[in-house]
Amino acid sequence: MLAVLAELRNEQYGYTLRKSLAEQGVEIDEGTLYPLLRRLESQGLLVSEWREEDKRNKRFYRISREGKVILKQLLSEWQSIGRSLESVLKES
Amino acid sequence: MELLDRYLQAVRFWLPKAQRDDIAAELSEDIRSQIEERESALARPLNDSEVAGILKQHGRPFLVANRFRPQQHLIGPVLFPIYGFVLKVVAAFYLLPWVLVWIGLNVSRAAHSGKSLMEALASLWTAFWPMAFFIVGAITVVFAVLERVEAKSKFLDQWDPRKLPPVRDPNRIPVSATFTEVTFNLVFAIWLVAGMWYQTSLHFSGVSITLAPVWPYLFWSFFSLTAANILASGANLFRPYWTKTRALVRLVSDCIGSALFCWLLKANVFLSISVKEVAPEKTARVASAINWWAEKMFPFAIAACLVILLFDVYRIIRVSREPRRNGLLNQIHAATH
Repeated sequence: MLAVLAELRNEQYGYTLRKSLAEQGVEIDEGTLYPLLRRLESQGLLVSEWREEDKRNKRFYRISREGKVILKQLLSEWQSIGRSLESVLKES
Repeated sequence: MELLDRYLQAVRFWLPKAQRDDIAAELSEDIRSQIEERESALARPLNDSEVAGILKQHGRPFLVANRFRPQQHLIGPVLFPIYGFVLKVVAAFYLLPWVLVWIGLNVSRAAHSGKSLMEALASLWTAFWPMAFFIVGAITVVFAVLERVEAKSKFLDQWDPRKLPPVRDPNRIPVSATFTEVTFNLVFAIWLVAGMWYQTSLHFSGVSITLAPVWPYLFWSFFSLTAANILASGANLFRPYWTKTRALVRLVSDCIGSALFCWLLKANVFLSISVKEVAPEKTARVASAINWWAEKMFPFAIAACLVILLFDVYRIIRVSREPRRNGLLNQIHAATH
């Protein structure tokens, strides 16, 4: 979810989003990605619109204002968990 | 692209109605992009089996559509363990005894009426399933309703640790059980001494019963066993814990009790009964019916005795295997009291 929100700071459609996440090592299959995109949109964290590109209709997603706030909170939580884990692993 | 259209049609069928077109269009776009990318890499159009490969990778239409639906379940993971436990309890304490009693009654009836055993078992098959389905169905419906109520009221979150049951020690003999045993044995001993003694001829309220010559042996055996049981149960009042020795003593006592009871059933104890103003033929029929039923009860008595003895053996194994657990329980008792 964090990766999807971060990646959608730049507008993309489903297929290119999946590819760019995969290129960065975050493999999400379409059966998981599309339901996730819809859930995030229904929660108001993403906005989407159908637009024509290369003579085909595609649904483009981007992060909403509320999504940006949540992304910031999630990032700080993630970093805090990372620091805690690092400290635990160092001790052991 | 006929294969793709067929795939999308199959997915659409299972999609939620309100979002059907939207999801299908997006899915179609994703798959088309994938096909195009592969075609440009190969510099030729994909054949049917290659398209089929891509579709197969996406997944079975029903499963793909299912991911877009809200998660639904009849009984969720919170209540499911309790549901499973209730089903097991019902199976062990209702369905299994029902089957055993049913088999017993019908086998005996079949033997009496000359029906074949297979006929009796076939009617068990037809009688059991509707009853079992009804019970399991009723329990499932109750839990499905509880699931909905729990989702709204969260009643499982309302609990008090102080209401949890106390730590249970399986090797402790409850005082209530000891009192019950002592009372039962005392009443039996008094009944034996006051009513039956060891004579073979009994007279009360105009009824005379003549018992078989074997009765005095049975009497003294039952009396001695009951007296020994009263002493053993009395000792439990002062040291209320099962030990290996006590469990062995109980096994021996139950073995003797079972053997005596089975002997009693086989012994044709009632020689004759006479009642004032009742024809001797009638009372002879009663005496013979009592002996007949006693003999018919023999296999059930054997089964019941086996269950009791198996439980006794299990108790010995449990007491022998659990010294560590007992030590832990003692530590808990010491820490909390």
